[in-house]
Amino acid sequence: MANSKSSVVLPFLVGVVASLVLGWWAFPKVLYSQKTQPIRFDHVVHVEGQAMTCDQCHTYRENGSYAGLPTTAACADCHSDVQGEDPEEQRFVTEYVQQGKEVEWLVYQYQPDNVYFSHIAHKDIECTKCHLDVANMKNPPVYYENRISGYSKNTMKMWECERCHAQNGASNACFVCHK
Amino acid sequence: MGLDRRSFISLVAGGVVGSLATPVVWKTLDDVSIWSQNWPWIPRLKYGEETLLPSLCKLGTDAYGVQVKLVAGHPVAAYGNPEHPLSRGGICPLGAASVQLLYSPSRVRSPKKRVGNSFEDISWEEAEALLAEQLKSAGKDVALVSGDDTGTAAEVLAGLVAALGSQQAYFMPSEGAAAAAALKLLGGDGLVGYDLEGADYVLLLGADALGAWGTTLRNAKAFADGRERAVRVVYVGPAMTATAAVADAWIPCTPGTEGVVAMGLANMILERRSPSKVAGLAEFRKQAAGFTPDAVATRSGVAAETLLGLAKELLAAGKPLVVPGTTAAQGLAVSDAAAALAVNVLLDRINMPGGVMVLPWGPKVVAAAPDKKAMMGRDVVGYLAAVAAGNAPAPKVLLVHAANPAYALPDLKTAQTALDKAGFVVSFSSFMDETAAQADLILPDSLTYERYDDAYTPYGSGQANYTMAAPILKQPLFATKAAADVALGVASKLGADLGFASFEDVLKAKAEALGLDFEAAATGSVWLGTEFAVQQLDLAKVQAPASAATAADLTLVPVANLKIGSPKVATPPFGTNAISPRELQGKDMVVAMNAATASKLGVRAGDAVTLSGAGGECRARVRIFEGVVDGAVMAPLGLGHTAWDAFSRGKGANVFQILGTQADVAGFTRFATAPVGVRKA
Repeated sequence: MANSKSSVVLPFLVGVVASLVLGWWAFPKVLYSQKTQPIRFDHVVHVEGQAMTCDQCHTYRENGSYAGLPTTAACADCHSDVQGEDPEEQRFVTEYVQQGKEVEWLVYQYQPDNVYFSHIAHKDIECTKCHLDVANMKNPPVYYENRISGYSKNTMKMWECERCHAQNGASNACFVCHK
Repeated sequence: MGLDRRSFISLVAGGVVGSLATPVVWKTLDDVSIWSQNWPWIPRLKYGEETLLPSLCKLGTDAYGVQVKLVAGHPVAAYGNPEHPLSRGGICPLGAASVQLLYSPSRVRSPKKRVGNSFEDISWEEAEALLAEQLKSAGKDVALVSGDDTGTAAEVLAGLVAALGSQQAYFMPSEGAAAAAALKLLGGDGLVGYDLEGADYVLLLGADALGAWGTTLRNAKAFADGRERAVRVVYVGPAMTATAAVADAWIPCTPGTEGVVAMGLANMILERRSPSKVAGLAEFRKQAAGFTPDAVATRSGVAAETLLGLAKELLAAGKPLVVPGTTAAQGLAVSDAAAALAVNVLLDRINMPGGVMVLPWGPKVVAAAPDKKAMMGRDVVGYLAAVAAGNAPAPKVLLVHAANPAYALPDLKTAQTALDKAGFVVSFSSFMDETAAQADLILPDSLTYERYDDAYTPYGSGQANYTMAAPILKQPLFATKAAADVALGVASKLGADLGFASFEDVLKAKAEALGLDFEAAATGSVWLGTEFAVQQLDLAKVQAPASAATAADLTLVPVANLKIGSPKVATPPFGTNAISPRELQGKDMVVAMNAATASKLGVRAGDAVTLSGAGGECRARVRIFEGVVDGAVMAPLGLGHTAWDAFSRGKGANVFQILGTQADVAGFTRFATAPVGVRKA
């Protein structure tokens, strides 16, 4: 009888543990592919080295909409020629600036088209509340792309938006974000 | 220890239970649901640099400047252009939908040739060769109907027709043509404009200035500004239109009697003030004397004391302006326009600040083309009626440009008969409109945002103006081509060189003729004329207006409404949301009449009725509205399309089907109102 009991409980527990390990450790590794940015952009050298502020490159347009990432032309204001000794900068100048190409940056937090997000309405909130703290990173973080949905692992989920809205007394009506 | 069946099941069960406490199931379900939102056929937003480029909207009956917003080179929205004098930042419902219309399902995406009852896609080479072949065999028997009476494209097409030896080049009906004909009747020469910004009293005789009449957006801005200067706006007309609803006063009149009211006012003004230096005054006085207050009251329903009040207000105002027009924004009687012009003459309001401004005809650059003045002096309705009746030879080739005559002409059955009689109908429509649907060859024109376009002094402008638009898309979205470029190419093939290699070159010549820098014009600089031709008007030539449809018990009052569409385009998808149950219920058009008229006809609100007119019958539902005079039935124009797309096809009825015509002076046709019969369906 005892034998019979152990032949049920033990495999059951093994199954539970195995699936927990697979589910929490292996599954994320399988679910996300890892990508690196086309250019190893060093934020620290710009923020600390050149004392640049975030809004010098990540600008608002006149109408208040957010321009997002700078264009190659904007980067070329300083990098029309190679400035330093970083081989990545050299590659950026020769492969993008000189050829008039835009860099296909991987954006960590692109929202789906059906989400309307206004940066200027959230301008008093710290960028790092939602974004990775890239300003303090010499190397851009790895971009994890969800193999099923195609979105970045860091793309904010709706419950996160709702929680912050609720905590700050902002409306959570559908039309606030879904126009 | 072996793994027996029982252990295996336990292992699997444990695995399943354990997996429920991991993200595997829940995360996969969530990601699959997100994946399903991003299937490749679901449209995606474009991201990239945002730019605003100036362009033109010519989808309604006027033309004005807009700004088109592009994201990464893709047009996404059109806004009003604050810099443009004819819009001053405003935009009409069709302009607001103009970017959407670029992608309309009804766009003709390549040239098409009729094969039996359907079309076959053909290449541009084949299409142009077919056009050249047909034109060659037609010889002089070629005709043109264009709906673009402000653009130079029509000049190029008319030049082609003229170079082939034909004088049969027509514009679709417009109030501008009727007003210019009225001016000509009085011995003047030019386009008729109205300095609405400068007037301190505006009497609108039927002109639905805030609906679809004239320079609609500019009118609205002028009236808004006028509020601050205490400008009084009075509307005379048979129905409470958009303009009547916000005017300082609405004076109801019997449909089609606005000209009679004008003559009554002229009579009263002459009794109180005898202007000097007006040619033909004695003869005109005799004509006007017949329009006594009582006679006018009998015919128009405007009480004698009301008319007297209006005359006194006109005489007391410093800068009064009388503007003739219609609720349909077309079909104005030349005689009515002449009567209103005569009142302006008596008040010394010609070429005066805040008055009627006589604007010069634009320069012609295609030497072979007929003068625009000559083209605007021809009546397309009369021409097609003559063709239908066999009184004029049917053209072997009929070119239709920026127009939809198989839908938007009065006495529609007659116009369609004429189209049927034409040997070979070529439509340059960008959309599968009713004319394109029955054409033999469709050569789809690019839309304004895809090509060069221009507009010279749309009707109603207070001063001459010229706006050019360069293409804002590098390539047309589909295999379309500018009609003017097609005409230039075909002319060259036929040995009838029009003097230009491309439409861009034509516009360069036009800019030069106006003394305008081409590059500046192509990037949004608007030319404004400041010369007003001195006029020697002779009132002896005014022909007293007859009331339209005076014998009718019941009169149809069609009202143009830009959200429903225009003679050029059907209801855009945006417009369908704005059409109210007061205009369309289910698939039935809604017509409005007052309770007394409904009672006389034995119908009630919501009843289905059959309207009968000159060319046939159509179905509608009754709405009771006291903003319509006795004996009038107000109906929305722009419904009842049979071609186009799901957004406009099969909704309501086409009022043009029952809109009869009436011969007018100067060889024109009046059709802004017409007799109608109503019976329960």
